[in-house]
Amino acid sequence: MARTWLRVGGVATALVLLIAGCIGDNGGGGGPASDATATGPIKIWYSNNAEEVTWGKAMVTAWNKDHPAEQVTGEEIPAGKSSEEVIGASITAGNTPCLIFNTSPAAVPQFEKQGGLVALDTFPDGASYIQARTGDRADQYKSTDGKFYQMPWKTNPVMIFYNKTVFAKAGLPTDNPPLTTYADFLATAKTLVAKGGVQAAIWPSPTSDFYQPWFDFYPLFIAQTGGKQLVEGGVPQFDGPDGLAVADFWKSLYEQKLVPNEAYQGDSFADQKAAMAIVGPWAIAVYGTKIEWGAVPVPTKDGMAPGDIHTFSDEKSIGMYSSCTNLGTAWSFLKFTTSKDSDGQLLTLTGQMPMRTDLTATYPDYFTAHPEYTAFADQASRTVEVPNVPNSVEMWQTFRDAYSASVIFSKTPVDEAFKTAADEIKTMVSGN
Amino acid sequence: MTIAATGRPSGHRDRMRSLFGRDPIGYAFIAPYVLFLGGLFAYPLLVALYISFFDYFFAAPGAQVDRPFVGLSNYTAVLSDSVFQRSMLNVAEFIVINVPLTVLLSLVLAAALNAKLPFRAFFRVAYYIPYVTASVAVIGVWLWLFSRDGLINGVLGPLAPSPSWLVSDVLAMPIIALVVTWKQLGFYVILYLAALQNIPRELYEAAEVDGAGVVRKFMSITIPGVSSVTTLVVILATIVGANLFTEPYLLTGGGGPNGASMSPVLLMYQQGIEQGHAGYAAAIGVVLAIIVMTISAINRFVLEKD
Amino acid sequence: MTTSAAIGRASPQVAPSQHDDRFSLQRVVGVAALVAGAVLFLFPFYYMIVGSLQRAPDTGISGAFPNPGNLTLANFTDINAQVDLVRTLMNSGIFTGGVLLATFFIGLLAGYALAQLEFRGRSVVFNAMMLILVLPFQLFMIPLYVLIVRSYGLADSYLGMILPFAVNATAVFIFRQFFLQLPRDLFDSARIDGASELLVLRRIAIPLARPAIVTAMIVTFIGPWNEFLWPFLITKQHDLQPLAVALANYISTVAARATNPFGSILAGAVVLVIPAVIVFVIFQREFIESNLGSAVKG
Repeated sequence: MARTWLRVGGVATALVLLIAGCIGDNGGGGGPASDATATGPIKIWYSNNAEEVTWGKAMVTAWNKDHPAEQVTGEEIPAGKSSEEVIGASITAGNTPCLIFNTSPAAVPQFEKQGGLVALDTFPDGASYIQARTGDRADQYKSTDGKFYQMPWKTNPVMIFYNKTVFAKAGLPTDNPPLTTYADFLATAKTLVAKGGVQAAIWPSPTSDFYQPWFDFYPLFIAQTGGKQLVEGGVPQFDGPDGLAVADFWKSLYEQKLVPNEAYQGDSFADQKAAMAIVGPWAIAVYGTKIEWGAVPVPTKDGMAPGDIHTFSDEKSIGMYSSCTNLGTAWSFLKFTTSKDSDGQLLTLTGQMPMRTDLTATYPDYFTAHPEYTAFADQASRTVEVPNVPNSVEMWQTFRDAYSASVIFSKTPVDEAFKTAADEIKTMVSGN
Repeated sequence: MTIAATGRPSGHRDRMRSLFGRDPIGYAFIAPYVLFLGGLFAYPLLVALYISFFDYFFAAPGAQVDRPFVGLSNYTAVLSDSVFQRSMLNVAEFIVINVPLTVLLSLVLAAALNAKLPFRAFFRVAYYIPYVTASVAVIGVWLWLFSRDGLINGVLGPLAPSPSWLVSDVLAMPIIALVVTWKQLGFYVILYLAALQNIPRELYEAAEVDGAGVVRKFMSITIPGVSSVTTLVVILATIVGANLFTEPYLLTGGGGPNGASMSPVLLMYQQGIEQGHAGYAAAIGVVLAIIVMTISAINRFVLEKD
Repeated sequence: MTTSAAIGRASPQVAPSQHDDRFSLQRVVGVAALVAGAVLFLFPFYYMIVGSLQRAPDTGISGAFPNPGNLTLANFTDINAQVDLVRTLMNSGIFTGGVLLATFFIGLLAGYALAQLEFRGRSVVFNAMMLILVLPFQLFMIPLYVLIVRSYGLADSYLGMILPFAVNATAVFIFRQFFLQLPRDLFDSARIDGASELLVLRRIAIPLARPAIVTAMIVTFIGPWNEFLWPFLITKQHDLQPLAVALANYISTVAARATNPFGSILAGAVVLVIPAVIVFVIFQREFIESNLGSAVKG
């Protein structure tokens, strides 16, 4: 028996050395450096959100008609928590498509580290095109080396949706409801649960996925601080007085059982189990005619003028991936899908805001026909993104775990939990 | 390959036999399987071992990235990680609930199915079905049953726990243990059923002649008679418990409140695949494997006292 | 794993029946308890069907009983609009079928060799197999993915899906255990008559092994039927994805858009469960107690 193991050990060692050799030169070397002007057929991925699929297919058809030598093939990938894993694994295997139309900005640092993304600055008009289209907000999407590894594409500025029918039932005003300060919000929430016939005033998902803070803590934090990110200049910002104020606000909601600490399967607002929702305009297609809704900016501690309130962008970018050989076509197609017309189609089909400056002036007909989206277009000019830092997914997971323990389940005091998290995060984002 | 009846093989066969064993044809039979194991699992296993000693992450082919050798620091980080420690405690909790329950229920059920009771086909179907259904499918029902406004709480009324089952950091793991027990039972019943058939009928008859009742027969004949299967069941159930992934992943996505239902493999998945720390995740895997193999060896030693 | 000492007495055994006590209190209570347990065991499936037929989700106690006013097949059409149920079911079938075939041919050979044939290195292979059984799949996942996609070039293919699961280690273990108990003389007489080993396997070993094969096949079936992570990684093309993957994705992302999210999830679940149940019900007769005894021993 021992001899067998010795023999096995010997073989294994030999194999390990062999593997080490292979892994040592990074999986056997890559192909020739891609030419930024090469043209030819390309593959793209878009999310499986029904409206985006419609838009995507329209784009592909229109392009393919005019470019017989540069055909584009489109595939859907599931949106949601697993799309980053799929893309990460794909990068490793070297079979990513040229463009992925739903790259999460939080995942970009990781993909960049893996060597999976193409810097759009390599194209002569790369940086200028992006900045012309998106304006000042484009800077939030630059990586630590100052280059653009993603093109900011569309945003769903997070606001508070409220159910007018439920508000009326609870005896609350349906225009300009009292939701501007924390105190007002809490009082309104209490009334809603008591008299509105709903289980919850608002029902953000309490699960521990790393991206959940983007839909409870982060939008309010951004509003309260007038536009700060979670971490700025390598220093965590959330453990200051503003961050603690936001956390305490949510904590009161959980403690007073106005917000459940268990996930709802489905959409609680659409099913009228919650009177409010904290989400962006993509949800309008879901609520449609089912709910009579209104939208207001997220609350701040002492109230602010709506024109001053910033919020979370819930933005999705387009990434160009390094496995792409026909970079020229990819860049041309990228510009095609973010042109004024294509952005207009995106707006019409999905109601999501393209990352363009001055939306209402660019698409006056649309906003005249759909005045309910004007609030979102206005809010879209004041959005804040997740910080582009190393280990960003781990940072958000660490934050979420601290938030969950202290705010949602009241197991630890908030200031302690936030302080510990801040210390850990400081090390994480310094690139170690 | 034949051997003469007198057992005196020729010189050539003699040499072959000493070099390769009595039946070299075995190599041909085993070749496809060895090819499968070697071609598919050898490389990943060795890669996993290798990268556990580096600050490793997977990169695009041809990318020049820095992956420094870090020796044992991944391992020390794993062992001192409170989330990992909690996940091991969770597995221990799972095993404490699941294994005895599984052994008891599957043995009793197997004995019942063996005893020519009526409705056997119905019982067979009922108790085996959970085993053959996909976790993904049944998770939906369990989520619904145990949700805050689900049927279980509806039946319990004022006795319903708050916080509710799956968000309680005390109850989440036991619920998972119960669900998995329900699901896996069929497999162990099969194992026990087979073992029961090998207990000679004469033993039971002799016991009856001596006036032993049902319980006495069970304790003195049945249980010792299937002891080797009991060892197998305990080892297998332990392995299943240690490798728990699907139920925590689907039922409590993200490991539950405060990691109350985090399992080591879920942590490995989160760290390795969601967050890209492949080296660290590999270290978790190796530590877990060592622990499981140690426990299996101990189990075997303790239970197989013959 | 010790083989049973009663090898020579491998005839089926059952606890002695007591004709005069057929309706004894003990028996009646025992059967009643079993029936109650069976009902409890089946309850989640019953609830699954009820839930999939509800128009509006009713989580109360009354919801446990089908309410004629609340019945609809809309949930099935809802999920079918997002997930092509027929196509994904077919993919599950191809995936599982491929694994079953590979396990049968390769695994049976291997199990027989490990048990009945003596050759150097046999224990190494056995230990390697046990190692694979113990280690979690997630440990291998990414390197395996890289291997299959980069080196073997099998992304977006059924073969790529099937390969890692092709030979189920538990099945090989079951085959080996079974063949271990068969005495060598059973085969030697055929060998002496000049039969090749393959013939011995085909004509003698396999027919004897029928209950082990059935058991192993059922065990092997569950792996790929259940699997939702690996096919999800290996293929993006919708028309290749098995139902387990589609359902898992549906649960996490799209369900919220349906009229009755829970109902449509359960509808998908019902479709995933039913074929497995049917297959099992058909084959459960093979689990006739008398045959099973020889299937898995030790």
